[in-house]
Amino acid sequence: MSELFLPLAVGCAVALVSGLAVVLARRPVHSVVGLLVHSLAIASLFLLLAADLVAIGQVLIYSGAIVVLFLFVIALLPAGGAEGPIGSGRALSAVLAAGALLAALAAGLSASLPAATGRSVGGVEAIGRSLFGPLVVPFELTAPLLLVAIVGAVAIWRRQEQAP
Amino acid sequence: MLVLGTSAALLALGSGGVLLRRNPVAMLMSVELMLNAGNLLFVLAARVRGVVDGQAAALIVLVVAAAEAVVGLGLALALFRDRSRVDVDDPAEVRG
Repeated sequence: MSELFLPLAVGCAVALVSGLAVVLARRPVHSVVGLLVHSLAIASLFLLLAADLVAIGQVLIYSGAIVVLFLFVIALLPAGGAEGPIGSGRALSAVLAAGALLAALAAGLSASLPAATGRSVGGVEAIGRSLFGPLVVPFELTAPLLLVAIVGAVAIWRRQEQAP
Repeated sequence: MLVLGTSAALLALGSGGVLLRRNPVAMLMSVELMLNAGNLLFVLAARVRGVVDGQAAALIVLVVAAAEAVVGLGLALALFRDRSRVDVDDPAEVRG
């Protein structure tokens, strides 16, 4: 585990800094670039945690599909999606809520630190057995979820076309 | 321990971002941060406990994140396409 500590620390630092950039960047395009770096850092963390298949899925779905989708929407939004100034009350409430959530998570997680077994698992076959075994109901439900999402997005768009 | 702290910090960061930003696209990106934090915790638990179910759950969360991004971005585009300013506080057509 000790030889993995330095890569894990680097990956965590990159993920945190790029996440901060996503939240704090003024221009949405900079936020999207931050999200791209963030998703790649998370994928590298997945690799270090011996989750190869999830890392590949992360790169394909997040870095490939979702980031490009965000870029397209920003290009279509008026004024490049630039937003007005943010009031101090909003900033204060956001910092307070984030701090309260972090404190609650720290208290809850430190009370129940798991003991490592050190046994590495993974592999496509084992994940497939899990997906079609104990997790078969949520796995099959993702199919209608995706269908409803596609049809819903098209329906929202079509109604907007007819309205004006 | 390190990854656990990162996951908690990312979740808090994403929730702060949702409250802070006024741009719907930036809010959706903050939600993606929170989903990534949850995924990281799933994979960490799978590694620590030696059970593969966490990785399978992380894959399902990835699919849910994609569906959420599609619907959220479609809504944002339909709402703000013919407005001059992008601000989630502006639209007032729907009254409760």
